[in-house]
Amino acid sequence: MLEANRHPNINIMTYSEVVGVDGYIGNFKVKVKRKTRYVDETTCTGCGQCTDVCPIYVPNYFDENLSARKVIDISFAQAVPAVYDIVRESCVECFACVDACDQQSIDFSMKDEIVEIEVGTIIVATGWDIYQGPDYGYGQYENVITQIQLERILAPNGPTYGHLVRPSDRKRPTKILFINCVGSRDVSKNPYCSVVCCNLSVKNSKLIKSEHPDTKIVVCYIDMRNCGKDYEEYYRRARDAGIVFMKGLVGKIEEDPLTKNLKVQMEAVGADTIIEEEFHLVVLSSASLPSKGTDEIARVLNMEKSADGFLKEYHARLDPISTKVPGIYLAGSCQGQKGIAYAVGQARGAASAASIPMRKGEYTMELIRAKPNDERCAKCYKCIEACPYSAISVNEKGNLVVDLINCRGCGTCAALCPSKAIELTYFRDDQYMAYIDELLPLEQ
Amino acid sequence: MAGTIRAQYPTSLRTVLVPCTGRVGADVVMRAFGRGADGVLVVG
Repeated sequence: MLEANRHPNINIMTYSEVVGVDGYIGNFKVKVKRKTRYVDETTCTGCGQCTDVCPIYVPNYFDENLSARKVIDISFAQAVPAVYDIVRESCVECFACVDACDQQSIDFSMKDEIVEIEVGTIIVATGWDIYQGPDYGYGQYENVITQIQLERILAPNGPTYGHLVRPSDRKRPTKILFINCVGSRDVSKNPYCSVVCCNLSVKNSKLIKSEHPDTKIVVCYIDMRNCGKDYEEYYRRARDAGIVFMKGLVGKIEEDPLTKNLKVQMEAVGADTIIEEEFHLVVLSSASLPSKGTDEIARVLNMEKSADGFLKEYHARLDPISTKVPGIYLAGSCQGQKGIAYAVGQARGAASAASIPMRKGEYTMELIRAKPNDERCAKCYKCIEACPYSAISVNEKGNLVVDLINCRGCGTCAALCPSKAIELTYFRDDQYMAYIDELLPLEQ
Repeated sequence: MAGTIRAQYPTSLRTVLVPCTGRVGADVVMRAFGRGADGVLVVG
């Protein structure tokens, strides 16, 4: 990230939102809302004096709300750019930070600004979010956490500096249960498989086991799906290390009000018994969801979404990088959840795909386009409303004008026109009729 | 898609290629009926 930020041809706009996109491949005009941090990025040196004087603590979203941050703070130590920001909704406006700042970088009168940029191609990489439903007492019992929260606990720069402790009493748990497929592979919630969680369970349980061999770890699963290069071997090593993988799901979890331990009833498939056990920590492999702004970005870029809510690719198997909109490409989990290796592969593919038309400087398109006939047109303008690509407009004479680049030649306008005043080139009405007549010859 | 899943269909079926199902208006459907088709299936 730091390297990319230093590159002369790369301009990173953090804390920003794409609010509008006009134009077409080669000539996109993008409106970006740069949300204000109330801290001047050009003069802030990242010294941290403002954080020292700030009296208000808020949950730290980077640490999955497991630790606290000040209202004015840096989002995380390695953030690029290393600039502080203010959580305005929790700020009491004591202005202690304004007085403390030597650079006078903090300005509470700063407003969001809209920047317009022109680009040739767009790569969407908006990622994913984790499912946080109330399953298995999540949100109710302190010691039921998600895999992502465990990742933060195990991270050297996390809330506990990498020491394994559980949230309720900050003691090391010695009996840990992992539950896979929480909120995924469930037709009443998310029917799809979240792909990465099986490997995540193996990785995190193995990390804990190698650090604390006395920990008893059980992983409950529907199916272990460790597909891909080296993953099956990884899973086997985890089993050899003494981690118990148990087919079957958890039926009931209850918290012991005194110890905050969790009493769990599990069904062991095959053994045909109900197991009751007490665990110190329960980790949920929760489903991956499309990131929160996915609906917005799909609307702004005129892109389609798949049934699962992720952004839709041109072809699920043959072209998972392009979209139906020429010049817009997908990379990573915004298209569907995937592991690191696949995300890297797709990102590099998207970078190559985007660079090809830009390097060429030209774009080849099909000639099937809508063509209006001014003499026949009754000027009802129904086609303008019906066009899914907003490619039809009216000129000063009231005649129809088709934007030949935005028009995809779908023919919705031609099918709808009551006076047959608009038709598709190379797919003309009389061509169709002749086609049908030839296929269905009248019997003599 | 029908080809990909090796779907079988009767020999009496005739296919007309359209750029998009949006193009299939009443005129196209009625023409097919007028020429003796028993049914019109819009697939896309």
